[in-house]
Amino acid sequence: MNLTSFINDLLGFWSEWLRPSAGLPTVLWSLLLAAAAASGHLVQRYLGLPKVVGYSIVGAVVGFAGFEGAIWPLRGISLFLLELGAAVVLFEAGGRLPLRWFRHNPMVLGQSLLEATLTYFGVLWTLQLLGLPDPVANPIALMAIVASPAVLSRVIMDTRASGPVTERAMTLATLNTFYALALGYAQAGLIERAPQTLLQKLYPVAVVLGLSFVIGAILALALRTALRFMSPTSESTSILLLALIAAGAALTAHVGGSAPLAALIGGVLLKTLNPKPWAWQRQLGTAASLLTMLMFVLVSIVAAQADWTLPVASVVLAVIVVRLFAKIAGVAIANPGSGASWKQAFWVGCAMSPLSAIALLIASNFTTASPLLGTMITQVALPSILLMEVMGAVLATVAIHAVGESSVPWAPQAFSTTEDTQR
Amino acid sequence: MADSDDFRSPALPSDPASRVVKLEPFNRSEALSLGVELELQLVNTHDYDLAPYAEDMLRLMAQTPLPGSVVPEMTSSMIEISTDICHSAQDVITQLSPIREALIKNADKLNIAVVGGGTHAFQQWHERRIYDKPRFRELSELYGYLSKQFTIFGQHVHIGCPDADAALLMLHRMSRYIPHFIALSASSPFVQGQDTQFDSARLNSVFAFPLSGRAPFTLSWKEFEAYFERMTRTGVVRSMKDFYWDIRPKPEFGTIEIRVFDTPLTVERAAALAGYVQSLAAWFLQEQPFEPTEDDYLVYTYNRFQACRFGLDAVYVDPASGQHMPLRDHILMTMTQLEWHSEALNATQALGELRTSVEANRNDARWLREKQGKERLLAEVVRQAALRFRGAA
Repeated sequence: MNLTSFINDLLGFWSEWLRPSAGLPTVLWSLLLAAAAASGHLVQRYLGLPKVVGYSIVGAVVGFAGFEGAIWPLRGISLFLLELGAAVVLFEAGGRLPLRWFRHNPMVLGQSLLEATLTYFGVLWTLQLLGLPDPVANPIALMAIVASPAVLSRVIMDTRASGPVTERAMTLATLNTFYALALGYAQAGLIERAPQTLLQKLYPVAVVLGLSFVIGAILALALRTALRFMSPTSESTSILLLALIAAGAALTAHVGGSAPLAALIGGVLLKTLNPKPWAWQRQLGTAASLLTMLMFVLVSIVAAQADWTLPVASVVLAVIVVRLFAKIAGVAIANPGSGASWKQAFWVGCAMSPLSAIALLIASNFTTASPLLGTMITQVALPSILLMEVMGAVLATVAIHAVGESSVPWAPQAFSTTEDTQR
Repeated sequence: MADSDDFRSPALPSDPASRVVKLEPFNRSEALSLGVELELQLVNTHDYDLAPYAEDMLRLMAQTPLPGSVVPEMTSSMIEISTDICHSAQDVITQLSPIREALIKNADKLNIAVVGGGTHAFQQWHERRIYDKPRFRELSELYGYLSKQFTIFGQHVHIGCPDADAALLMLHRMSRYIPHFIALSASSPFVQGQDTQFDSARLNSVFAFPLSGRAPFTLSWKEFEAYFERMTRTGVVRSMKDFYWDIRPKPEFGTIEIRVFDTPLTVERAAALAGYVQSLAAWFLQEQPFEPTEDDYLVYTYNRFQACRFGLDAVYVDPASGQHMPLRDHILMTMTQLEWHSEALNATQALGELRTSVEANRNDARWLREKQGKERLLAEVVRQAALRFRGAA
């Protein structure tokens, strides 16, 4: 008996046994999240790896086993939850995107543009060399630009990291997410058309950016107004923030923009309008953590549904290696004058290796727009995302420890001999 | 923060006689010459917590030719800047201003901010990282958590003395004015996110260290040398740097070093405080206004506590007469006494600024509390303090 028929039997039993209730899917998802939370904890405690690895392992195991809670391509509530999780992370990342930094240190922007460009063309040419057609290679190359701010921020939390490499990696990850979202959502709309002129190519980008900007601006203004009479440290402010991001995500998806992009722009605009330090992260803590954990589990469930064959594995490995090399090279080439050392530049490049929800959302858009091409895109995209959600998290952790920016030693907590004590 | 050079290895010869170290001779320096050191905070521009950017900051600062020096401190979120030898408060600000400009420029490049103040308002000591240098690691091993709790920020003022005996005389005369220095520079009301009710909570951290407090009362360098040698025989002390006194002689510079100041929020106030010290020193040298005695120290700790706790609102007990009076009044009285000397030293403007703030009952601790009263968010207070350091608030 496979998992699907078992669940169907269980559903039948469930509907007779207890009603009304939230339904078996809710119970399964709740148990899945409970298992992910426990797995994340154990992975960190006994292996010293980031919690996100534990979440991904649980998701992957369930996905490989044929769990149908999240069907590819995503739609409905699972798509919304993924977009909401990404939106919450990107809103915060947008608030940390220091625009004035680029004025004082334009080389940081140079590093970002160069690493994104090299990544795109590096992956594109590699895929072309391996014989993939442009309509498939292009979306995968776009997806490869993204360095997951979600994974990176979780790793930063787990390692209690702060410092130049941590901050720069987070900034560059947010920027390349911005580029990839704008280009990815726009090009998904064009996948079955063949734009000829530059204007035809740029118009959809302008539409996605414009719509996302409008929603982001409304979000920022609403929060700015709320902050005039609400304390930034209040729990109510955090709930208001979460609710408005959720509304914004739903609205943006409906009008044709990008929900994560709107949240990112909203975060940037709010920080510009209200330069005071943000203090709601602590209040947002558990709710946001639950949402991001759900996002990681969802990503790995979906990504595990890919077909794992040897030719696919070779392409995936080539994408991963070229992407990593391009990111390190891009950051390093533009490093002179940026205020960072060569060692820091190298580790910034490594810290940007994670792939996760944003890449999945971009892939999902292409797949929805063109189911035929989507299948080919999915073949490479999903395994890459799953591998780089786990390996990227580990590599980012290595990078943070290598430059000494972690506040905790890299050892399984269970065997730690430091004075770190819990109340 | 104590000098980072203060550590000496605990490994000692077993024979007490062989531990004895001779005190180095008191070098010549120009009387009333000045030197200022400022320990500064490096914070991120996101949540304004301390950020471990000392190494990056030092690397960038090394590319700019500047007076004085910039060196690392115990934890990686602190740096220390210092002037070359100065001759007036005006000279101090002339040197500190380009250093401040370079700090701001490089901080902008690194996306961080530089802040004054004696403590960071809400940093958690256990999150601090020891700067990667063998000496700091050894210091951390010796003092354990104290080294991280010592993430506090002070201003040190060196004043040149004509000779060794004159230095000790000046040191003990200056001790009567320790409460004045504390109240004028106080800028550490918040510790670990709490209002301590102290204007200068920083000095409470200094007390945890051995050999802190006051220097022994001796007015003769010969006696001081003998005291030093007796101390080295015990094995507790192996150099002058092992003393964490509020004021200590610095024989290699030919100065005394006053260490009770909190780092002010602006370099202008730091220079003004240096001008006040220099004017006092000139008064001592030129008028010999009083003879210090051991009994001055009967009220020393009480006066010190009052100044830390209440700042300019403290009660000052005159060590000579035992008279109680508001510290604010005593500060204003000394400023009147110093007028002629400050004029001669080109410090009239510096003392004028200090006098105005005392008359308005304002110091940096009060500024910080007012901001917190308005904003109700310590991170925002730190942000505004960073703007104040760069002259934008």
